Amino acid sequence: MSDGLVRILDGNTFVVSDARGDIEASPTDPTGLFSFDTRFLSRWVLTVNGERLNPLSVDDLQYFETRFFLVPGTGTVYVDAKLSVIRQRAVANGFHEELTLLNHLDEPVDLSVRVDAGCDFADLFEVKDALEKNGKHSARVEGGKLVLAYDRGTFGRSTAISASAPARIDNHGLTFKIRIGPHEEWSTRLDVVTERLGVGLAREATGDPKRARVRMRRNLERWIDEAPGLECDWDPLKATYRRSLVDLAALRFSPPISGGHSLPAAGLPWFMTMFGRDSILTSLQALPFTPELAATTLRALGDWQGVGLDDFRDEDPGRILHEMRYGELTAFEERPHSPYYGSADATPLYVVLLDEYERWTGNRALVRELEVEARAALNWIDEYADIQGTGYIWYKRRNEKTGLENQCWKDSWDSISFRDGRLPGFPRATCELQGYAYDAKLRGARLARLVWKDTALADRLEKEAADLKRRFNRDFWVEDEQYFALALDPDGNQVDALASNNGHLLWSGIVEKSKAKAVARHLLGPRLFSGWGVRTLAEGQGRYNPIGYHVGTVWPFDNSFIAWGLRRYGFKEDAAVIAAGILDAAHFFDGRLPEAFGGYERPQTMYPVQYPTACSPQAWSTGAPLLLLRTMLGLEPHGEHLVVDPALPIAIGHLELLDIPGRWGRIDAFGRGRVEVERR
Amino acid sequence: MRSDLTAEFFDELGSRGHEPLLGKVTGSARFDVVAGERTERWLVTIDKGDVRVSRGNAPADSVLRANKASFDRIVAGQLNLMAAVLRGELAVEGDPRLLVRLQRLFPRPQGGRTHRQAAGTAGREE
Repeated sequence: MSDGLVRILDGNTFVVSDARGDIEASPTDPTGLFSFDTRFLSRWVLTVNGERLNPLSVDDLQYFETRFFLVPGTGTVYVDAKLSVIRQRAVANGFHEELTLLNHLDEPVDLSVRVDAGCDFADLFEVKDALEKNGKHSARVEGGKLVLAYDRGTFGRSTAISASAPARIDNHGLTFKIRIGPHEEWSTRLDVVTERLGVGLAREATGDPKRARVRMRRNLERWIDEAPGLECDWDPLKATYRRSLVDLAALRFSPPISGGHSLPAAGLPWFMTMFGRDSILTSLQALPFTPELAATTLRALGDWQGVGLDDFRDEDPGRILHEMRYGELTAFEERPHSPYYGSADATPLYVVLLDEYERWTGNRALVRELEVEARAALNWIDEYADIQGTGYIWYKRRNEKTGLENQCWKDSWDSISFRDGRLPGFPRATCELQGYAYDAKLRGARLARLVWKDTALADRLEKEAADLKRRFNRDFWVEDEQYFALALDPDGNQVDALASNNGHLLWSGIVEKSKAKAVARHLLGPRLFSGWGVRTLAEGQGRYNPIGYHVGTVWPFDNSFIAWGLRRYGFKEDAAVIAAGILDAAHFFDGRLPEAFGGYERPQTMYPVQYPTACSPQAWSTGAPLLLLRTMLGLEPHGEHLVVDPALPIAIGHLELLDIPGRWGRIDAFGRGRVEVERR
Repeated sequence: MRSDLTAEFFDELGSRGHEPLLGKVTGSARFDVVAGERTERWLVTIDKGDVRVSRGNAPADSVLRANKASFDRIVAGQLNLMAAVLRGELAVEGDPRLLVRLQRLFPRPQGGRTHRQAAGTAGREE
């Protein structure tokens, strides 16, 4: 890790420590043991005879386990260490640590080994925003365990810490007085268990942690075995592909309601939870590789679909949730995430995913099962999202205190602006939302005709889609520059900045054929294309900043959908150029694309500059190479068949994707690089 | 005498017959409402959306338990069901997915307003 922190995780339980394996969290610092958005351990410091240890190396064994090799002493004075310390840690209902000390001397040693433990039980939101606590902390020794607890009325969370070797336990940690014979070793297991999780739901029996580890290892092997195999002349792509599969496995998350099935959480460390937008887009990216993620996403989000009007949660009937949280601030309704619905794109994208899932898998049973949800989502577009009554999706938060201002994927405060940098008022209708609505209507029409046998609905949706396309191409088209405006302001004026959202419009199909070429020219032109990828906002716009979160950085996920859009309109070579840039960047990040990187011109920095506080791994960045493989190979379901129409950058050479799952069973796709990519 | 919001809620629920929001749900949930020494119990049985409500202590797929005061706030739309669970005010045993389905039955804070009013914009009248 570039920040020196070591992370292991399982679902939404994760541990972040320093390279020694120690945790010394300050209120605002994201280290510790976290589960269900609460920190269950904020202090975990190992000393031997009162001395801190030094890291020799860290082995990341799997995403859920790691091993630290340590020696006593400070600074560089560990050359002739007489003692080695190994901490092997795995996440499972908290974490388990095998602590081993090896005596390298010819004589016995007497040692005092101490583990300090403590917890602030911070809500992840508090860690992010540095808030104060309202409840009471306590610590007690009970039944051979140190129990750390936090209580606020009926709200309670606790952590129990115990050891397999005899220990003296006090309210601040565990002490082992030990003697190790010459060339012998001593070890103990330390169990840190999240006792009261507070989700009100029984969790699976903990069982033996060793067996849990074996199960997790097998599960990961199976996950990788079941995904298509990739063979390629260009080794970095093989590495990126494997990294993506492993990270996607790590980011799988089983919400308490999913019956053990998993869907992609958004990203580590802040977003290990269910997100409407992120879970849907990642499932779309991964569809040709792991279609079961889409099925779980559709079911879980369908279960939580809005049914009424709740201003605090920005909930409407039919609306798909934005974000679910389980921590203290959500429990006390100081934050609206139980769940929060303030997303304007998740609902149309829900229908898009359902249709795309059927096109790949042929699973009509799920389309029938989710008919009520899909109809309610389609209804939301017209009945609840069109708050101006102008036939577009608009957003304006009703929770003005803790709701989200920008309810599109570019959700930071300054992401939606005019060319000259001014910010429009609310409500806002960003352009890509209209594209998603168009796509949702056409796909909904297909499902209505094919599965729900409702021709009237299909006809109506198709008519509405055609009308939306016509109006959109008139109202959003910036005539003097030949691209689509980023948004409409409340008075219906064009918010005329040039932004990457144009690529999503190609993906949705809302762009009239006669306008597509101009849009593609902008996407690959010098103002938007950095050489690595398409910038979120074009150079030269008022708010452009190459390291501004949504106003100039390059987002790998964004680019994967832009490449898909270019393919849709027949710009195969342009899609290959974007794939080449993003996959080159992935190589610089050892195959793990960050959330975003700087929008600097490629020759200026020679390597992609990571955005400072970007999440990593992040689900839709992890999914980006998968979607780029799909677009480069030109994979498209057609009836019961899979069409393969490759357009690969020359540098990739020969590419094979083997055993692609779908309604055809399993099928292989081959391609050879022929597209010249100029490295600017 | 103050009206009994929780009892009214279950009476009304029992009179709905078919509840489309639960069209795919089959299962049973028992609500144990604790008022001092006394516990009142309602058994809600759902068969593909057909809802039946009865009183009494029968086994169920899912058991939800809370104080009367908390239940009264939940059925009045003043306390969100999921927040109550996270807070420990509502204890849940058994099938968690059923809980997610059942939360659809409870009223939201704003019952009567239209969405455009709720959105705080003038909007065109339909």
